[in-house]
Amino acid sequence: MNSIVSVSSISKKYQLPLSKKEASNSFLNNFFTKRKYEEYWAVNDVSFTLNKGDKLGIIGNNGAGKSTLLKILSKITKPTTGKVNIQGKVASLLEVGTGFHPELSGRDNIYLNGAILGMSKKEITQQFDEIVEFAGDQIIKFLDTPVKRYSSGMYVRLGFAISAHLDPEILIVDEVLAVGDADFQKKSLSKMKEVASKEKTILFVSHNLTAVANLCNKTLHLEKGYVKQFGETGEVLNNYLSAMQNNLLLQDFEDVNLSPGNDLVRLKYAKLTPSLIGSQLIADVRSSLKIDIEFWNLLDNQNLNISLHIYASTGECIFNVGTEPKILNKGVVQASLLIPSYFLNDGNYLASFMIVKDKSIVLFNFEEVFNFEIADYREETTWYGKWPGYVRPQFDFPIQQVSQKI
Amino acid sequence: MSFISTSRIIQVRNDLELLLILAKRDISVRYKQTFLGIIWAIIKPLVTMSVFLFAFKNVSNIQDLGGYPIQLVIFSGVLFWNFFANTFQFSSNSILTNSNLISKVYFPRIIIPISSISVPFIDFIIGFIIYLILSFSLNYSISLHILYLPVAFFFLLLFSLGLGLIFSSFAIKHRDFLQVIPLIVQYGFFITPIIYTSSEIIGKTWFKYYLFINPLVGLVEFFRFSLIKGYHILSFFDFLISCLISLVVFVLGLFVFKFKEKTFVDYL
Repeated sequence: MNSIVSVSSISKKYQLPLSKKEASNSFLNNFFTKRKYEEYWAVNDVSFTLNKGDKLGIIGNNGAGKSTLLKILSKITKPTTGKVNIQGKVASLLEVGTGFHPELSGRDNIYLNGAILGMSKKEITQQFDEIVEFAGDQIIKFLDTPVKRYSSGMYVRLGFAISAHLDPEILIVDEVLAVGDADFQKKSLSKMKEVASKEKTILFVSHNLTAVANLCNKTLHLEKGYVKQFGETGEVLNNYLSAMQNNLLLQDFEDVNLSPGNDLVRLKYAKLTPSLIGSQLIADVRSSLKIDIEFWNLLDNQNLNISLHIYASTGECIFNVGTEPKILNKGVVQASLLIPSYFLNDGNYLASFMIVKDKSIVLFNFEEVFNFEIADYREETTWYGKWPGYVRPQFDFPIQQVSQKI
Repeated sequence: MSFISTSRIIQVRNDLELLLILAKRDISVRYKQTFLGIIWAIIKPLVTMSVFLFAFKNVSNIQDLGGYPIQLVIFSGVLFWNFFANTFQFSSNSILTNSNLISKVYFPRIIIPISSISVPFIDFIIGFIIYLILSFSLNYSISLHILYLPVAFFFLLLFSLGLGLIFSSFAIKHRDFLQVIPLIVQYGFFITPIIYTSSEIIGKTWFKYYLFINPLVGLVEFFRFSLIKGYHILSFFDFLISCLISLVVFVLGLFVFKFKEKTFVDYL
């Protein structure tokens, strides 16, 4: 067998203090009361093997154990149980510019970072000019300036340039692709592909499914520490995407007495329908989103309107949109909203809406009615970093050459 | 099994290079953005010595310590103590101050505390040169005993680093250990013959036991024995005891560190 990485049922247990009251790690608490811990298995019974040249993508939600798994594979931490057997020289890039010292010059930091990542002094000296060139023209001028004076872009470019010149047999990468500006990303990605084309084994954690689909032949899908699926990338990604459909997109209540609300209004029906194109399984930035709301109005002759909020998963309100106020009588009231395609950027969102009387009195606020995710989609791009912002408009933005004179 | 693979040799060479570059980093960062730079390594022990010299000569009217010039006894003591204190403190804190490295990259963890002795070592070398100048300016030449200096220094290094390894290993989970370090450095200075000689305490009944508890007593006297001409208060046997204890502390430190290093990342 020429399996170069073999992982057999590794698990990693962390102990979390049970309550906040006991969280202070004090001698007295320790001494007089046996501290209670909650066991938390960050990685649970994970096994897989890779052959030489395999490129493995590791995907999963936050807290699925991806980072812990990478730390175990790079020997930073030991698994609680299980065995890892890796044959060959490993380099792990869990961060760009690990160990950069702000007071030291760019030049010194190249040697420092290189040594930390496992390069010999000779290797660094040989590739020094290439590294600097890869990092960009700007760096050359600032090579003898302390890196604390660098812009964050320069810092990251220098860090990536060093990592890109590592030559291990097995490379462990944690989302370092998502750095720098678009131009630099293009360069980084082609470097990654160049590296990948060699007989190199790569383990790559990413939130970006497009990047995984492009770079990796195998994919490991983790969920709450367990292996959900391990296999060919196409197959795993398809299953992953269909599993993501289980978002909260529909609420339907038949009995007025059991539905959320109060004596004035109650929720009857709420549905979010993304438009899906072709073989698309989940909503992405191309999808328009249709929101249908029905509620029971329990009083006659009310001047009501609906006010809907969309929140990012971080809690900021992205926008608030309201219907016209209308005099409505007892019975079922219906409203629909269409959010056009290329409006929301990729990410996780929450929707809430409130029913307002006379434009000022909130009768009831239906919180977190929908919880949905919008995936990224790009055509013919070589850049796989997270697209910034909460909105993803496609405004008309023409560019042309007006003269050839300088 | 005498077979050593070339990849193992390359690994060891890379580890040594990493050790050196981390040591170099600490040295070059030490006096960054200071005007006087490395001169601070000269000023600090001189100020300490001058303060005690003033206190002894002008306040307490003491003219010599055990028959040796106050300046030499105190300066050698301070030189010794500063090396101990800095090595102990830096190596104890080293794992925590380098936690960003430890949690992101794998390399033998012992490299971190070992590299942290670079700054105290440079300070020591500079201090030693100042000592020589001071000694000659007082018409006190050095004797052949200077040949013992590397031995005394070696055991001082073992003890300081060994203690640092033990503290750094425990401090990661229980930060209480970090609170103890300044106490040891601050008060240890006075309970060890740094600004006095052992002749003041050698007659006490507890001294024999004290020599076992505090190996720095024997080490500092061994150190002075090699530096100050004619200085000989404790016996070679006493020196030997302190050296052996230092060795034991160092080996213990290595074992504790080796045992604890696997879990460092989980508590950082």
